[in-house]
Amino acid sequence: MDFEFSDDQMSLRDAVARWVEKGFGFERRHALAKAGGKTREVWTELAELGLTGLAIDPEHGGMGFGAVDAMVVMEKLGKGLVNAPYAAGALVAPSILAAGPEALQAQWLPRIASGEALVVLAHQERAARYRLDQVTTRASEAHGRWHVDGHKSVVQAGDEADAFIVPAHTAHGIHLFLIERSHAQVRGYPTQDGARAADVHFKNAPAHLISADGLQLLERAADVGIAATCAEGVGLMDQFVSLTAGYLNTRKQFGVVLSTFQALRHRMADVKMQLELARSMSYFASMKLGEPAPQRRRALSQAKVQLGQSMRYVGQQCVQLHGGIGVTDEYVGSHYFKRLTMLEMAWGDSQHHLGEVSARMQDTAGVFA
Amino acid sequence: MDLNFTAEELEFRAMVRQWVAKNLPSELSHKVHNALRLTRDDMQRWAKILGKQGWLGWGWPKQFGGPGWNAIQKHLFEEECALAGAPRVVPFGPVMVAPVIMTFGNAEQQKRFLPGIASGEVWWSQGYSEPGSGSDLASVKTRAERQGDKYIVNGQKTWTTLGQYGEWIFCLVRTSNEGKPQTGISFLLIDMKSPGITVRPIVLLDGEPEVNEVFFDNVEVPAENLIGEENKGWTYAKHLLSHERTNIADVNRAKRELERLKRIAKAEGVWDDQRFRDQIALLEVDIVALEMMVLRVLSAEKSGKQSLDVAGLLKIRGSEIQQRYSELMMLAAGPFSLPFVHEAMEAGWQGDHVGAAHCAPLAGTFFNMRKTTIYGGSNEVQRNIVSQTVLG
Repeated sequence: MDFEFSDDQMSLRDAVARWVEKGFGFERRHALAKAGGKTREVWTELAELGLTGLAIDPEHGGMGFGAVDAMVVMEKLGKGLVNAPYAAGALVAPSILAAGPEALQAQWLPRIASGEALVVLAHQERAARYRLDQVTTRASEAHGRWHVDGHKSVVQAGDEADAFIVPAHTAHGIHLFLIERSHAQVRGYPTQDGARAADVHFKNAPAHLISADGLQLLERAADVGIAATCAEGVGLMDQFVSLTAGYLNTRKQFGVVLSTFQALRHRMADVKMQLELARSMSYFASMKLGEPAPQRRRALSQAKVQLGQSMRYVGQQCVQLHGGIGVTDEYVGSHYFKRLTMLEMAWGDSQHHLGEVSARMQDTAGVFA
Repeated sequence: MDLNFTAEELEFRAMVRQWVAKNLPSELSHKVHNALRLTRDDMQRWAKILGKQGWLGWGWPKQFGGPGWNAIQKHLFEEECALAGAPRVVPFGPVMVAPVIMTFGNAEQQKRFLPGIASGEVWWSQGYSEPGSGSDLASVKTRAERQGDKYIVNGQKTWTTLGQYGEWIFCLVRTSNEGKPQTGISFLLIDMKSPGITVRPIVLLDGEPEVNEVFFDNVEVPAENLIGEENKGWTYAKHLLSHERTNIADVNRAKRELERLKRIAKAEGVWDDQRFRDQIALLEVDIVALEMMVLRVLSAEKSGKQSLDVAGLLKIRGSEIQQRYSELMMLAAGPFSLPFVHEAMEAGWQGDHVGAAHCAPLAGTFFNMRKTTIYGGSNEVQRNIVSQTVLG
């Protein structure tokens, strides 16, 4: 057992931190968000750092790194409030594509690694809420060709993507398909957290089959997404907590700095508790990604319950501790809060995952159960 | 970064597990698994079994006769004991005073006191709190006046856990009123058979005399029982408090009690009540998160690269979890946790249980657990400490 980061992981962390510091200040982030949240140029910069190929095999032009490396990157991107679809494009989508036919892999993975292409999962449907097995989109096969009909919503960076990974029902259960952007009707919009999403309609859209084992792959991709969300949440909270501590140590009322008031100090202690519990469970999430499905699913749900609670508490309390400035658009803190709020709903909120944990409980429990 | 234990660590765990399975008397584990009353002899019996194996001082270095285990090995040992249902080792001797004697005591004191602690022969108590000194421990007033080669001790200690069994007590006593309160405190070892000592049990809200008042009336203590230097006792006490930082979280016991909670919930028919079950699920998440936090501390200790300053967080979270599982067990039994039948908590009681045998101790345990957020530095004091790490 060892929770130390390797030298390579620390170099990776430092590289991302340096890029954030030099190239992704709040002014740029704010301007991108104000302009509608399009960030394809940021995706390209992340590619120049080699990051979009992080999880892709070296034979397809990537670095072949693992879950903990991804966690290290996500924490720093969270800390920097980076609103590009990194997890969606570089972690979640490649985890599915890597299980597809070799031709499809060879066509897309190298272009993702180089930053030329952005492929995102388009799975959210109106009636499904957080259930991955609720799919009304249909796929049919004729003469060896697949076509898909359906409607997916809130697809991350949907109008900046080059292709979509789409779960659709067939006569033999849920399959996963790749559909190119040119075959979809896309309506993009900004999101509350300064990024971008889209509704995507498929009408008899030509589709490439990735896998007939759709649900299993989709669940695994969701778990990759949860681990990334956890790590990003930790980075966001880490930074927001330190901003808040700085504020309490400078802002004066009643003639003294706010950090002299015990009510506020105790609140900060509770905030710190939630941050450290979240960090612990983010480690847990990333390290459990390689486990067999039953243990992996349970662990990732446990992690998301913790992160959901922590992100809500830390976000809301840090805004409160800032007072008026915390609810302004010009202050960076409110943007941390908005991102933290939206992340609770990514891949299932706390209630959803509490239900999952509840259903999967065994007689024994613990980190190694 | 790797969550899994190494092959050597797993081998160590298997060795401990096998030993515990062979040496832990089933009458003891039966009591622990069912929260039945443990006697002095029960606790002493397990302590002596460990002592014979050289493991009662499981955190001790080799030079003092301990096994010299690292942080992970100590944790695995504690986990195996807890999950098997071993009684908790009364910590005052082997976990609390022994490290102080090792670090600040002289060779004579080490030779005199450590063997009795290591074997489990001598029962130690802790003399810290006083009626006027709870969270504000540095305000202790129990006086020790030097007269020739002895100290004359006058005053009162309180909340002395299991002090009715104590043979020796380590005390914080005031030897000077000069300067800051912290600078006039000394660390004194006192034979509880000394004339002038009176022990009076305090019955707690669960009806059990778990703690005591200890009165000192002109008690003569040989000066050779002073640890280290006069007026430096606060430093030694702080060293003691910083020891065994992960121990206070008691996550291993929490895992065992979560298993018991699930058994009770099933027997009481609330396992299939979604609202109740979700509460158990939430507790399960809390326990996994606490265990991960403990493992992070252990990993940091093992690597020696950086220490993790989360002792206050572990205390707060661990104690809240102890209260929560005992509360959920009581709520699971509902009205059947109401009867207060003193004998029903004795192992082997042949009387008629109301509801089921497992219901008898639930409310008592819940009431007893209210202490956990109060003792060892109340959780409010812990929040002061934690806030210092964030705000300075």
